Amino acid sequence: MDKFLFGCKSAIPIAFGYIPMGIGYAALALKAGFNPFQTVSFSVLVYAGAGEIIAATMLANGATALAIILTNFVVNLRYMVMNTAIYNKMSENSLLTNILTAHLVTDESFAIFSFENESSVWFYSGLSITSWLSWILGAAIGVFVLDFLPEIVTNSFNISLYALFIAILVPAVKHNKRLGLLVVITALLNVILQFVVGNWSLIISTLLGAFIGMYIVDDEDMIEGAD
Amino acid sequence: MVDINIIILGCALVTFIPRLIPAIFVDKLNFGPKVEKFLNLIPYTALAALICPGVLTVDNQLWYIGLVGAIVAAGLSWKKVPLGAIVILTVVVLVTVYSIVPMF
Repeated sequence: MDKFLFGCKSAIPIAFGYIPMGIGYAALALKAGFNPFQTVSFSVLVYAGAGEIIAATMLANGATALAIILTNFVVNLRYMVMNTAIYNKMSENSLLTNILTAHLVTDESFAIFSFENESSVWFYSGLSITSWLSWILGAAIGVFVLDFLPEIVTNSFNISLYALFIAILVPAVKHNKRLGLLVVITALLNVILQFVVGNWSLIISTLLGAFIGMYIVDDEDMIEGAD
Repeated sequence: MVDINIIILGCALVTFIPRLIPAIFVDKLNFGPKVEKFLNLIPYTALAALICPGVLTVDNQLWYIGLVGAIVAAGLSWKKVPLGAIVILTVVVLVTVYSIVPMF
């Protein structure tokens, strides 16, 4: 129980990011045509900030359901790698607790669990359940308050996920120039491919970028993964 | 018109399956170093593709609003400001920009 509570406590920095981000996501989802119930359900069932925001953005831009779902698959495939690392590290776990916690991996819960000197399944449960609830809470606050907020504020919330993406990328790029080069190449690929393949450019440039990265990014800098 | 419920269920399914596989087969899964590197790079390339050019469409009328936000977020991140604070401060800066620039 102590370990569970320690996990909850370790999720506080995550919650500080997730709640405003969740509000930002809700603003985009509502704008894209989700109703409030769908907006919150999406956060409960998918629980992947980037995937959700991409889905909402693609929908707003007129993408097909198939393109949106395939893009989510590609963008969220990294959780397979992260969960492999998590369950390799985790102690006191069982098949049942693995299955129950499988849904709760994110870049942030993975990063904290990886760098913490604690490997108990109870610690991870506290950490990941608190993070999940804060993400849902953000979306719920979003659908509730966005009606009352002036357009200036809701428009400003649109930036929050991009701010988070940039805040995650900058330290990694600062640390590794070749990764920075790869980020620029991928961004340019995505801009160019949009004129050729429209909404599919996100998946294609993501995969093509990672493929190019295998040859230009040094192995030793990749250990930390996505945090 | 696209059915949003299908998008929700479809995305939930394709996101859960990759999360579930290692939970069940943790002892048997062993990616080669090449595949692992490829998968590790995906978050970075996905973020790059997400940001550019999407950040310029934060405001449908004023493209530079997103650019201002991106520069603020990048600057704060360079100065090692915590993630949550970067998100909040960037939103605050944009609210300020909006109150200076007239909205249409």
